[in-house]
Amino acid sequence: MNVAMQILKKIIPFCLFGVLLVSCSDEVRRDTGRIYMPDMAYSRAFETYAMTPEEKDALLKKGIHFSNTPVAGTMKRGVLFPFDIPQDAAGDTANYVASKAVKNPIAFMDTAQIVEAQRLYLVNCGICHGTKLDGNGPLYRGGDGPFPAKPATLVGDKKYETMPEGQMYYSVTYGKNKMGSYASQLNTQQRWMVIAYIKAKQEASKPVAATADSTIKK
Amino acid sequence: MIFHIYTLIVYMHHYRLSAFRISSIFLFTAFFLFFGNFSMAQDGKALFQSDCASCHNPIKQVTGPALKGVTARVPDQKLLHAWIRNNAAVLASGNKYFNDLYIQFGKTPMNTFPQLTDPEIDAILKYIETYPEPGPGAKGPNNGPSSQVEESDNSLLYGILTLILAVIMLVLLQVNSNLKKLSDDKSGVPSSEPIPFYRNKVYITFLVLVLFVVGGYYVVQAAIGLGRQQNYQPEQPIFFSHKVHPGTNQISCLYCHGGAWDSKMAGVPSLNVCMNCHAAINDYKGEPLYRENGKEVDGTGEIQKLYSYTGYDPKSGKYTEPGKQIVWIKIHNLPDHVYFNHSQHIRAGKVQCQTCHGNITQMNEVKQFAELSMGWCINCHRTTKINFPDSAGNGNKFYSIYERFHQNLATGAMDSVTVENIGGTECQKCHY
Repeated sequence: MNVAMQILKKIIPFCLFGVLLVSCSDEVRRDTGRIYMPDMAYSRAFETYAMTPEEKDALLKKGIHFSNTPVAGTMKRGVLFPFDIPQDAAGDTANYVASKAVKNPIAFMDTAQIVEAQRLYLVNCGICHGTKLDGNGPLYRGGDGPFPAKPATLVGDKKYETMPEGQMYYSVTYGKNKMGSYASQLNTQQRWMVIAYIKAKQEASKPVAATADSTIKK
Repeated sequence: MIFHIYTLIVYMHHYRLSAFRISSIFLFTAFFLFFGNFSMAQDGKALFQSDCASCHNPIKQVTGPALKGVTARVPDQKLLHAWIRNNAAVLASGNKYFNDLYIQFGKTPMNTFPQLTDPEIDAILKYIETYPEPGPGAKGPNNGPSSQVEESDNSLLYGILTLILAVIMLVLLQVNSNLKKLSDDKSGVPSSEPIPFYRNKVYITFLVLVLFVVGGYYVVQAAIGLGRQQNYQPEQPIFFSHKVHPGTNQISCLYCHGGAWDSKMAGVPSLNVCMNCHAAINDYKGEPLYRENGKEVDGTGEIQKLYSYTGYDPKSGKYTEPGKQIVWIKIHNLPDHVYFNHSQHIRAGKVQCQTCHGNITQMNEVKQFAELSMGWCINCHRTTKINFPDSAGNGNKFYSIYERFHQNLATGAMDSVTVENIGGTECQKCHY
């Protein structure tokens, strides 16, 4: 008995050490840890949009004036000319009606452009309007999805099949009903491409008629 | 006899046929009776979805008011029908209730539906009035966080096993020395004075060795891990679940992180992108959400937080206060001396987001999946084959300038071209 006790006494430190090692198991990591050379790891430059307004104010107090956003109305080189119809005031539809007259500057898309237009549609529009343009995307799911309003049925509804492209462009640019504005996600050219894609799909779904001319024009 | 049997068979056949016919007619009528009714009951839903649902929801205010209870609010059935068919005429007639409603909803005109018949309107109204009320018990089954906590972690098991083995070894060593002492005593060999374990050279050497190996391991690991943030999982200002958004709701990664396609940075979306959907979606009804520590998250409350940042009032559907910035915490940090470009990888290289960001559609709280160490980058550059154009001209045309590789591929000296071959492991590719 005495010998056993003696042995146990000798073992206890080892046991404690082992337990200590094992207990260092992984938990949720909420900290970033340490950096070897912070002045090489953290950028000294101010990256675009990476500053909060408070940080900007702090610099302003030091007398450092700068703008990391372009001046309002700045246009990138090589983009399409912007849509010059402004957004309607609440309760007014004058500009929405006026937008009917605007023509799509993209009259023809080649295969690569159609593929790109389809990609843009699927990324930005398909989520609500459905991959088949049937107004039944994963967010609506026939009324079971989280989106409470039915998205427009782009193919199969006369209202949208006869809607002029300019009016569609107005809705994509400024939003309509519960649809938000997509002007921040799609540039001018991309918005017209998506509309041309929708019109091409509407054209393709029409029964028989002009199937001989299979080149997608709009 | 044979003839007799034959007639019997023919007779039976005939009989069976007629029986089949009768039963089929019967079934057909039953089918019609049943599904005739069924389609009538469905009419309301179908009509509602095709004509009304783009602006109305039975229990929620969307572009127009929530419609459940409309028959109680407008008891005059004729007036309601007239309103649905041609609301402009009702407004012009000066009806106070509808004119007030029109002003309340910002004079957004309702479409006219002159083609709807009385039974059709009644079917729509019936569908609206029988639409289930949102109950308080709408939440899914409470599975609790227990299912998340239980993870198979073998390290504890191995630790215990190692400890037990170490204890057995020590016991056996002690037993051995005691037995040796006993046998020495018996055979009359003069035994040396017993040395306590802390002065026993064998023990001390053993302990120092163990400390050196274990300590060295941890020191090296810590030194390698300096500046690395694998598994970093900060708590964000809003509990934005990637499991719900790109997972359950199948939103494309590029819907919010569109910059990944066009530029160096994937980018965090501005609040108007959130509001594209959340102007209308103002509650969460999916499966219960849990933080990493097992605490349940109120999804609807998190959407309310978004509204407090954007200054949006979901009741009126208007922005009533100025917006504020959400300071999200950046998870994936590369040191400033490394250049990384998203569009180069996902657009030219066709790398999937999940390759580096892990199974993001299963993450409620995003954590850094990859090590983002230089070794990790280099390994991928060494093994990844580029989309080199073959003899038929398929593949990335940019690589047609690599004439030597084309020759090598043609002669069979190379079987594929990796990122390393085109300079993907040169220092200046990423450090300049």
